[in-house]
Amino acid sequence: MTAIDKKSRAFAGKHHDNKQKMSKGDIVFNIVNYTVFILITLACIFPFYYLFINTISDNELVRLGRIQLYPQGIHFENYVQVLKIPGILDALFVSIARTVLGTLWTVGGCAFLGYLCTKQEMWLRKVWYRLIIITMYFSAGLIPWYMNLRMLGFLDNFWVYVIPGLVSPYNVILVKTFIEALPPSLEESATLDGAGYTRVFLSVIMPLITPILATLCIFSAVGQWNSFTDTMMLMPAGKYYTLQFLLYKYQNEASSLAALVRNTQDSSSLANIATKQTALSVRMTVAMVVTLPILFVYPFFQRYFVKGIMIGAVKG
Amino acid sequence: MKKKLPVLVLLLAAVIAVFLPAVSLHVHSQLGAETAALFPANISLWQIMTQGIRCLPADQVPAMKLMYTAQVPLTVGMLLLLAGCVMALLNRAGTGTRLSLLFSCGALIFLGTGIFQWMNLSRSLLFTVLLTVQAAMYIPVIAAVVLILLDVLALRHQAPLLTDDRKWRLLSVVLAVMALLVMLLPVYVINAPETLTANPADAAAANRSVSMYQMLLGSEPNLYTIGQDKQVFTDTLSGDLKALEPYSGDGNNIRGIFMIRGNSSVLNTLLLAGAVLLLLTAVLGLIPKADRWFPLVMSAMAALLLATGVLSIMQVGEADMYASASRQLLKLGIGHVTPVAPLAVLLALCSACAGALGVHYANEPYFVNPLPASLRIRTVAAALAVLALVCMLMPNATVSFTKANKNKVQATAELRGIDALTLTAADRLADPKDSKGKDVYTADEAEYPIGAVNAATASTARLYTGLTWASLCLTLLALVLLILKKPQKWVIALLIAALVLRVATWLALSRSLPRAVVTAGGTIWLYASLPLLIFAAFFAHFAHLEEMPNKYRLFLLMLPFLVAVFLFSYLPLYGWSYAFYNYKFGLPMDQQEFVGLKWFTEMFTNMANRENIVRVLKNTLGMSGLNLATSWLPMIFAVFLNEITRTRFKKFVQIFTTLPNFISWALVFSFAMCLFAADTGIYSKLMMSLGMNDPNNPTVWLNSGQHIWLKMWGWSTWKGLGWGAIMYLAAISGIDQELYEAARVDGANRWALMRHITLPSLLPTFFVLLMLSISNILNNGMEQYLVFQNPMNRQTIEVLDLYVYNITIASRGTTLYSYATAIGILKTVVSVTLLFSANFLSKKLRGESIM
Repeated sequence: MTAIDKKSRAFAGKHHDNKQKMSKGDIVFNIVNYTVFILITLACIFPFYYLFINTISDNELVRLGRIQLYPQGIHFENYVQVLKIPGILDALFVSIARTVLGTLWTVGGCAFLGYLCTKQEMWLRKVWYRLIIITMYFSAGLIPWYMNLRMLGFLDNFWVYVIPGLVSPYNVILVKTFIEALPPSLEESATLDGAGYTRVFLSVIMPLITPILATLCIFSAVGQWNSFTDTMMLMPAGKYYTLQFLLYKYQNEASSLAALVRNTQDSSSLANIATKQTALSVRMTVAMVVTLPILFVYPFFQRYFVKGIMIGAVKG
Repeated sequence: MKKKLPVLVLLLAAVIAVFLPAVSLHVHSQLGAETAALFPANISLWQIMTQGIRCLPADQVPAMKLMYTAQVPLTVGMLLLLAGCVMALLNRAGTGTRLSLLFSCGALIFLGTGIFQWMNLSRSLLFTVLLTVQAAMYIPVIAAVVLILLDVLALRHQAPLLTDDRKWRLLSVVLAVMALLVMLLPVYVINAPETLTANPADAAAANRSVSMYQMLLGSEPNLYTIGQDKQVFTDTLSGDLKALEPYSGDGNNIRGIFMIRGNSSVLNTLLLAGAVLLLLTAVLGLIPKADRWFPLVMSAMAALLLATGVLSIMQVGEADMYASASRQLLKLGIGHVTPVAPLAVLLALCSACAGALGVHYANEPYFVNPLPASLRIRTVAAALAVLALVCMLMPNATVSFTKANKNKVQATAELRGIDALTLTAADRLADPKDSKGKDVYTADEAEYPIGAVNAATASTARLYTGLTWASLCLTLLALVLLILKKPQKWVIALLIAALVLRVATWLALSRSLPRAVVTAGGTIWLYASLPLLIFAAFFAHFAHLEEMPNKYRLFLLMLPFLVAVFLFSYLPLYGWSYAFYNYKFGLPMDQQEFVGLKWFTEMFTNMANRENIVRVLKNTLGMSGLNLATSWLPMIFAVFLNEITRTRFKKFVQIFTTLPNFISWALVFSFAMCLFAADTGIYSKLMMSLGMNDPNNPTVWLNSGQHIWLKMWGWSTWKGLGWGAIMYLAAISGIDQELYEAARVDGANRWALMRHITLPSLLPTFFVLLMLSISNILNNGMEQYLVFQNPMNRQTIEVLDLYVYNITIASRGTTLYSYATAIGILKTVVSVTLLFSANFLSKKLRGESIM
């Protein structure tokens, strides 16, 4: 009898036991437990749903607060009009560019640095490694950080989204821990073949550490997509706005925005009150536009999140 | 047949997109109803391609004829795209697909450049018509990209056309040369209408076509100097373009534009570096023995630099004071941008791609260095020394002159290395004049007459001259010895001596001047020469070896990362010095007023400040405390979720409760705004139906300052609960199942299992997380509080980070920078102390460190 068989039998047996022993207390417990979790899950999903039905419903009904649980008078004019707001396509482009470039840059940098940090023979390895890790525990503060980037010429510069993120100590630790767990013999054989460090990293190590790289990619991408305070502080001249920042900005000035959208609309739809943009509808639609990419990507990568945090948990 | 379907779809999409509205127009009310009626509401790509400028009422608005509609590139691009699609349909994975690939690449270039022009036009008010590019405009480009992908996929298994790496390299060279040639063509053309100024001859001075070479050399004709020298553009405006006045930027009229200084040095440098790299690509690609990697790296970097440069060209005067006058004119629609700039970038990119394929097909898989092994390290050392020499000849110091009673720099002068060589350094510093050409100091000045200032600067200049001469000679000598293969210890000694002299120059400059009026600081060239000398010495040490020892090679690989860490994590610490000065924006550090610990004591002695600090600290600790007090929630969540036996339900709950963690706070606030809006939100509707909210006077739930800590706690729990539980769930799955079995045999029920097995095994994780969050008690971030703050709740929502932001960057004032820095320093010190104590505690209690 194989070990797997044993396990499956034990599992079946346990299940069987549970069913037999299901006492009154257990049933009550289960009912309460399931109900609580259903409620919590609903609380997490409901805002997304609520926002969505409000963006596709009749705008007049929305304005009156009549759309609460299900959509009425479905139309998609809001989305069409919001995408016509001047600057929103540019912002989308900047958001995508910073997410892609920033993620590649950070993950590539941290992966290579993590690999270098595993090399015992490096000159003063411990000193450099500690110098890098210690930056996790202190920060110079807002003003010194701002003045530093200003001095380096990063104000009103697209690359401020990308370049400063090269080294992230936490990611370096993760990669280093992961590589140290790999068998060293793989690398040795490549070194004997005459490959240098860069070559070994690219052709031997990289393919082996893809699980951790995928996790880092997702975290970095979500971080890049979601960040808006950097745009707020580092783009005083108003260049390179991101979608998240526009969302933040529109929350304060949505009424003038609705006027702008209305102005660019053609006259025929102007007459139709049901699809006329209001401050509320614009605000909600932009929020939905920002959420959608995350909602689309999320189900595919959900398992990596769990994996990632488990690898992180090893280090504590 | 199946494989042709996607192409057919693409073809259909592209054809349909041609007839959809590509650009929508919004006519400003200023134009009048009759003229406005002449403009169509939408223009389709078809109209642009067939009618060009005539799709707009160019007959009625004559100035519109100057507008460049990119008719030709768009038409050619569409035709190429059609040809590409047809070729792909006729013959999959054969010569037809190769042709299709070629056509679609061409289509991408042409369409891309045409659409780029329209993107430039959009968002700028041309002739009081606001143009907005619609999504249909982008569909053909997307179709071209997808077609390229499909073709590449279809060709993947075919034998490639050019397998020989030499052919690829040659192609890479040709493309690089083409990119260089394209840079000769005009990037933008300005046709100023004669009606621009009262005197038609004046307007002609604005006419120009500027190529990328003119940009990279900085020889773009400067309207500023023309305007000043010839006294043109001084007459008032007349004619049609008067309507443009309100849109010419900062309230000035068109005339003001001619007074903008041209030439951005950053742009020039980027383009110059790109061009040089392209040239190197061409040369290196032709050298048969050179490594294949070199041309690839060069062209890739060239493409990157050019792309950055072109991006700045694309930002035609967007809120940019330093944008050149020509680019401001472009923004107004007088003239047009040609597709040359992105074309050059595309060619450089293609050159890099060809180079990459060359590397791919090369026989030697690894890096081959063309230099003989015995010379490599010596060459690097020599190159670094030469670079250091160049740095020494560049501007090495900036001297700024102020007056004792003014908080502004009056004049600046640069000291170049060449000035030291020609002994003219003193002349450059004598008699400083301000930007208007007036003397800063005069002979009858009470405190610092011109004579005293000149005497001081002359002595500094003498010192500078001597030190620069000495360091130049030392480095040159070292270089000669290095090339002559003399013992390396002499070389190293000389280089170190030069380094010491450079540091001495830097220190002497800032010390020997009367601080109240004159200060000197090093420039980037001075700072750059120091590491160059160090590394020249470093490499000289290994000059006799054939190969760098591994331990140092690894260090060199690590170096860029160390530089990045230094620049972005350690260099900001220099800013801590602001806390000890009365920092004034725009003054050099030497002239700031040193105030010692004033800002630190001010925090507690000044009544208003103390009140604020106490209030903010209370908020910070209160909200962090609430989160800390409930930090066990995720653990309980995980424990109870673990009790659910249906795996599918468990997964479902897990997926949806972690989702809120991945949305930004700006989005959370949008949710809050909709759910809790005073009159329409579901919350107030619910309360109304329960009779707890007056429909005529609804409670302002979201904006009010009441119970704000609880509300903030609620939102952060909503966002973080499911995510926090994942780590505990991971820990639970690691618990040995036999423990449960054993307990069950002993008769333990469900509660007992949870209490005595699951919970205790989670406690170590809980403890580590608790310790970490205690040490982070002051760093509760500002995003959440920033989005939720408003004038009504500011008193109770402002946490430390947000307070610092509010009093400095948000208020656009610079007077409190020192104070804010002082707060930041204290915060960091407290946090680090807390972290170390938590670590110490953890070591004592559990014998394990948390760091």
